[in-house]
Amino acid sequence: MANKAPIRTNDSALIAMIADEDTVVGLLLAGVGNVDLRRKTNYLIVDSKTTVKQVEDTFKEFTTREDIAIVLISQYVANMIRFLVDSYNNPIPAILEIPSKDHPYDPSQDSVLSRVKYLFSAESVASDRR
Amino acid sequence: MAELARTDEIEMEVKKTDEMAELEVEENQWGEPIEDLEGEEDRNKAVMKLLDSMDGYLTQFNSLSSTLRQGWLDLASARHSMGTSRINYTLLDLKEHAASTSLRVISDDDDDDVDDSTRKQKPRFQLRKWGSLDNQTFSAEKQRSKEEHEESSGSLKQRHRGDSQLPECASKPDDGAQVQIDDKEKNERSKSLAMFGTLVSPKLRASQLSFEKAIEAIVEIANLRSEILAASDQVQRILEGSKKEILSLNSKRDYKKGVKETRALNEIEEPRD
Repeated sequence: MANKAPIRTNDSALIAMIADEDTVVGLLLAGVGNVDLRRKTNYLIVDSKTTVKQVEDTFKEFTTREDIAIVLISQYVANMIRFLVDSYNNPIPAILEIPSKDHPYDPSQDSVLSRVKYLFSAESVASDRR
Repeated sequence: MAELARTDEIEMEVKKTDEMAELEVEENQWGEPIEDLEGEEDRNKAVMKLLDSMDGYLTQFNSLSSTLRQGWLDLASARHSMGTSRINYTLLDLKEHAASTSLRVISDDDDDDVDDSTRKQKPRFQLRKWGSLDNQTFSAEKQRSKEEHEESSGSLKQRHRGDSQLPECASKPDDGAQVQIDDKEKNERSKSLAMFGTLVSPKLRASQLSFEKAIEAIVEIANLRSEILAASDQVQRILEGSKKEILSLNSKRDYKKGVKETRALNEIEEPRD
């Protein structure tokens, strides 16, 4: 019973995005954009001027909001805050690392697959750390 | 007196081996333990589930990559034909508005997990595209409700037999509802495109469809992520259980060896006395 963590159900949860301009614009065309009464959006456009602190703060904000169920983050942006992404353990919101235009998806960097990798071989994990 | 003490010792050892024999694992002709087949099946099932969900996860990611690539290409083409200033993040609507496409999150029990005490709930995501449930999930739910209806009590079945027009009547409102859903989708799509102007390039519309498809893949990936995490937890628990089992088997085997050797020694020594 102690291990049964209750899942927060929701009928209209949001998809948050931390990605480059084209990805965010495209996904907003699909209708996932949300702006609340306090003019807070569910997306952050990352460009050359965006700092790591901004990305960190936005990530923390999105992962603590109760109305967000999935956080999409470009993999190259996730690498900027890798320690934060890898230490995230909650089932909701689900963190998904997506490819961007200039950075294709690399399964070896995916946090979900990294967590499962050690089950198959301890040596491969050790060699990666070197 | 020494003989009495020795027989007492032998009796104590026999009692211990009898107790151990109750917990003993069967051995084959080579002295290797014969494993519990049911437990082996559960272990294999858990590992297969993990591998299947990982395979699905990677396949969906490949599909997402190609869909996103198509979307970016169409967006770039639209930007080329309409101009960079017309497709820009500065044009995004910052007025208060709710998302047209959202998610429904439900809790799903991990039924494949054999161990009730450690069974966890995992989230399941359903896409609500343009305000309604995704067509696929909607039809799946309809099928499930139909199956539940067929499996229900005999009185309901009798009603169905009596009223043959029921299924025909049921299909008509569905068609009407589907038309309404399609109209609603068209309106929402147009609203979404309207932030870039009234007349937009067909490439922008194509890009919108690509990104809609990408969202569907993303929701599927999120569900597979939940499956992977649940399955990996289960496999980890099995591994920990197997380690404990191996350690206890080894200690039992060592104890049995020691007892057999002691008995053999005593049998050799007894005739001397």
